[in-house]
Amino acid sequence: MIRISTPWKIIIFTILIVHTIIVMIPFSVIFFNSFKTLREIFLRPFSLPEKWSFDNYIKAWEKAELGKAYMNSAFVTSTSVLSILFLSSMIAFVISRYDFPYRRLLYLYIISGLALPARLAIIPIYLILKSFHLLDSLFGLIFVYSATGIPFSVFLLKHFMDMVPKEIEESAIMDGASPWKVFTKIILPLSKPAIVVVTIVNAVGIWNDFFFPLILINSKEKETIPLAVSTFFGEYSHQWELISTALWIAVFPMIVVFFILSKYFISGMTQGALKG
Amino acid sequence: MKVRFRKLLPFVIPAFSIYTLLVVYPFIYSFYLSFFSWSGVGAKKFVGLQNFKDMLFGSYSPEFFNAFWHNVYFFIMLSIFEVGLGFIIALMLATRIRGHRVFQTVVYMPNIISMVLVGFIWSMLLNPQWGLINQTLKAIGLGKLARPWLGDASTALNTIIAVNVWRHIGFYVLVMLAAILDIPKELFEAAYMDGASNWQIVRKIIFPLTVPTFQTLLVLLFIWSFNIFDIVYALEGVQAGPYRSTDVLGTLFYRTAFGGLGSSRTDLGLGAAVSVLIFLIVIPVSILYVRMVERRSER
Repeated sequence: MIRISTPWKIIIFTILIVHTIIVMIPFSVIFFNSFKTLREIFLRPFSLPEKWSFDNYIKAWEKAELGKAYMNSAFVTSTSVLSILFLSSMIAFVISRYDFPYRRLLYLYIISGLALPARLAIIPIYLILKSFHLLDSLFGLIFVYSATGIPFSVFLLKHFMDMVPKEIEESAIMDGASPWKVFTKIILPLSKPAIVVVTIVNAVGIWNDFFFPLILINSKEKETIPLAVSTFFGEYSHQWELISTALWIAVFPMIVVFFILSKYFISGMTQGALKG
Repeated sequence: MKVRFRKLLPFVIPAFSIYTLLVVYPFIYSFYLSFFSWSGVGAKKFVGLQNFKDMLFGSYSPEFFNAFWHNVYFFIMLSIFEVGLGFIIALMLATRIRGHRVFQTVVYMPNIISMVLVGFIWSMLLNPQWGLINQTLKAIGLGKLARPWLGDASTALNTIIAVNVWRHIGFYVLVMLAAILDIPKELFEAAYMDGASNWQIVRKIIFPLTVPTFQTLLVLLFIWSFNIFDIVYALEGVQAGPYRSTDVLGTLFYRTAFGGLGSSRTDLGLGAAVSVLIFLIVIPVSILYVRMVERRSER
């Protein structure tokens, strides 16, 4: 690897420390603000909170209805990811394992979705959901995410399934196993690494998405986390202690999950983005 | 493998139909709708290419090109500060310096936080009176530099770009780092044997061998640059103030399609026309990207 002299090591190390601090500051600011009073935030921005009280947490949690928003985000994210996995792995399996007319065309048709930025088609999507009475509904959101997640997931899963040797399932087919059996008993278990990547990339994307909820959701009790915080931010824009707390409540669990699973997150998301 | 295709249909139909209904059809319908004037209720009025004329040459033209050039500016600045700077930091990490693992994780962290939330956090930090940035500048005697970063048309766009870099750079660092670490170690050793300097190693070995990664990242960045919306919305609202100095095609699209105070006309047809124009800019590059991705996977 690159070899460097000690003075360079010191310079590089310093730069990296500075970068780390720049990354951490915004998070620490909202964390400390969440324990301060508004007065403290304005008058003593650099000092630690006077007392560590959870008053702000109780207020922000109730006023922003974050509990509800967390439930909504969790429901939408988990259901959408399951549905993406279900839909994409089945079609990827068939495209990867069987010969049939227009197989290549079907594959190209699906992955051409990688080239279509879904949010630009929001007007027709809005109209379609309206005609199905799925506007302002979590199921409408799930419906949209299930569809927009397909191209990338099919691409990744099909590519992975292609690498599974055919011999493995041939004996099973000899024994008269149906395609469904081959799929659930052989191919799916062997595709686990790809399933992990598909899950992480889609889950992070859906959990963080703001655009679709902004347009498709109207009522307060159906807001997802980014939308709920956004509404709260609009209503309480001067109460920084509450806004900071709401932001910290929204951000903190993500940070914890990220540090626990950082290996999977980093490899999944960097690979995922490059491949799809 | 040969199986009756009929038996395979249950595997294909669910994904095929939902994908067609909510991805392909909306895309085609956007093109169709862009030839009409329609408020969302009542009859659609066919106007031919009028929406496109209005956008490109007519009354909306200044606004459209103002936003368009901001997207281009985003792309150029992010190429320098995300891809370029990302490469330099990746080089630093490629020395496998003490603590590089911790640093890799920390630098990636902002990427997993929702962009709007990042925007709200920074809008507090950048507040002219009470934000930490200006407070710090005042505290260290640089009060002269304190300014309303987001409220001043001359600094707003660059400030948004800086926030963007803060959030995304970790991604570019890690992708670049992976590409650098993929280079066979023997190449470095042989070069050091021949007395090559680090600068020569970067220029003659690392850079040429990471060109494909640069290409992929720039293509992705181009697509993302024309999809920017959340961060501008969070920091400046859909009006993309001050005086549209931070307007991008995403916010312009939002205003034309869904309205917003101050926009003179809300028209789904006109909005669809904006989306079609963005499609036309992005799609050639997206197709290039899909082909790159396909080629990569066949290797």
